[in-house]
Amino acid sequence: MNVLWMIGQSILNGLTMGGIYALVGVGLTIIFGVMKVVNFAQGEYLVIGMYITLVLNQLTGLSPYLLLPPTILIAYLFGRISYGVVVKPLLGQPGQYFVVATMGLSFVIISVLQLVFTTNFWAVETSLKSVSITWKGFSLGLPRIIACGFMIFFVVLVDFFLKRTDFGRAMRATSENTEVAQSLGINTNKMYGFSFAVGTTFAAITGLLLSPIYFVYPTAGTPFKTIAMVIIVMGGPGNIGGAVASGLIAGLVEAFTATFVSNDLAPAAAYLLLIIVLAFKPAGLFGKGARVA
Amino acid sequence: MTLKEKINLKTLGIMGALFLAACVFPALTKNNYLISVGVVLFTYAALGTAWNIIGGYAGQTCWCLASFMAIGAYTSFILKIHFNLSPWLGIFAGMIVSAALSMIIGLVSFKQRNMFFSLMTIAFSEIIRVVLVYGKGITGGSNGIFITYKKDSLWQLTLKSDKIFFYIMLAVLAVVITISWAVEQTRLGYYLRSIRADQDAAESLGINSYRAKLKSFVISAMAASAIGTFYGFFLTYLDPTTVSSLNVSTKIGTMAIVGGLGHLFGPLIGAAVLIPMTEVANAVLGSSGSGMLLYGAVLLAVIIFKPGGIISFFQKDGRMKKNGRKTERRRAHGSDS
Repeated sequence: MNVLWMIGQSILNGLTMGGIYALVGVGLTIIFGVMKVVNFAQGEYLVIGMYITLVLNQLTGLSPYLLLPPTILIAYLFGRISYGVVVKPLLGQPGQYFVVATMGLSFVIISVLQLVFTTNFWAVETSLKSVSITWKGFSLGLPRIIACGFMIFFVVLVDFFLKRTDFGRAMRATSENTEVAQSLGINTNKMYGFSFAVGTTFAAITGLLLSPIYFVYPTAGTPFKTIAMVIIVMGGPGNIGGAVASGLIAGLVEAFTATFVSNDLAPAAAYLLLIIVLAFKPAGLFGKGARVA
Repeated sequence: MTLKEKINLKTLGIMGALFLAACVFPALTKNNYLISVGVVLFTYAALGTAWNIIGGYAGQTCWCLASFMAIGAYTSFILKIHFNLSPWLGIFAGMIVSAALSMIIGLVSFKQRNMFFSLMTIAFSEIIRVVLVYGKGITGGSNGIFITYKKDSLWQLTLKSDKIFFYIMLAVLAVVITISWAVEQTRLGYYLRSIRADQDAAESLGINSYRAKLKSFVISAMAASAIGTFYGFFLTYLDPTTVSSLNVSTKIGTMAIVGGLGHLFGPLIGAAVLIPMTEVANAVLGSSGSGMLLYGAVLLAVIIFKPGGIISFFQKDGRMKKNGRKTERRRAHGSDS
């Protein structure tokens, strides 16, 4: 095993993992951009996406990728309901309340999943699962490549939606300045509900894409939750392009640490990177400086 | 205002009575289980009180107090195992390490507002957990480390009976509440509360919010570290998931939030309600998952329906409610994260 091969394989692993991170991160960025709050239960929405896929897969026997539309629908509805129950009563309260409430929500989701599905590891079966593409000694699992493809598709879709549609423009206006947006006749509460549901749906989509790669269990989302937070801080608040880039960077840093330092230390590398970035560039790697709104 | 006027006689009386009741409690019962629940209750009340300094007065939600607890516990465990140093001295080593690390986290993250600090604390707690798992040679990795019992010794904190730990923890709780009270009553406390109410206004009055938050965070971290040392020796066994996980950090925060955020006795009330409730839930439902469900559900219910916590039932003025209305306007401006 030579060094060049290790570097090449690390880049491949890092970029595909980073693509998956980016998708969770983009979901969190949408919520953060519009509502200026961080959803501390994002990882649990990801796990919910995994379980929806698991249940649908067990019921219908279809490949998880074909289950994307129903999963998106169910996840969106769930995001909408949890917005109404947990988030909406807290609008106007100090930001701290939101941090605490979503933290509580993540506890509730994990333990309900534990009660319903037990802590057992479940696997979503698909014929593509063990297929991997090899080229000159480098190898990459097909599900990871598919996940990356979907990431690119959804990011482009969201970007188009935000920039080219009226609804997207209204969302960006809310993000820019809530009061002015209100005075222009935008129903900002509606924007909040929509962006929260869309942001959590992104997490659920990530869960679906992860289900052929990882086992499904109640706390599966925890590492992704923390990585997603790293991404929004590094990418700069509400910056979707920054989130994607930071996701890829986080994936690469992790892959290289795993290959060249230690597998155990890999998760810590991205967090350390976050601390370093915040120390020298507090507005994030791609932030345009402190924007108040 | 003199010191005498600052002390509320009624509260002091109630606290004194409770303290005495707690003192005689071990003499009345032979049930070791109840005493160990008491130790856990005091530990979480003390940790919650430490959390309340940064999370309540300063309004900076911190999710890494368990990491400082772990640092305190691990440091004194390692010093005890390798150098046979008494935990009464090891406690200071842990506090110094915690102070240094909290300083770094604070210096980096208080440049930004509330939410970023919360994120940083989560990143930090993950780093500590990973490092504890990685450093197998010293920390025992995910298997953890333990203290072997040789003989009863107060100096080495190897004690067979939980009764002595009961008194030690009670004393620790009293000390931490006193520190919290001191923070509340001094200039720092007024700074913190004004920053919490409106950081821009506080800064325009010349308050260095950066330094005030940093101070409060270091105090919280050092207190948590000291509590961790005693709690570690009570458990006699440490591993990354039991002392250093995000769940424990959240549990600590829950004590303060459920009892009453930013109120001196809030965490104590929260722990007095939640710890027995957890024990009952675990006994009835018989799974460790139910305990987590309880914390999550209580946390959600309190923050949505009664943000002032249990203590707001006893307060006559609806101060918390008015506070909420005020921030509504401020948040609409988007000035607060």
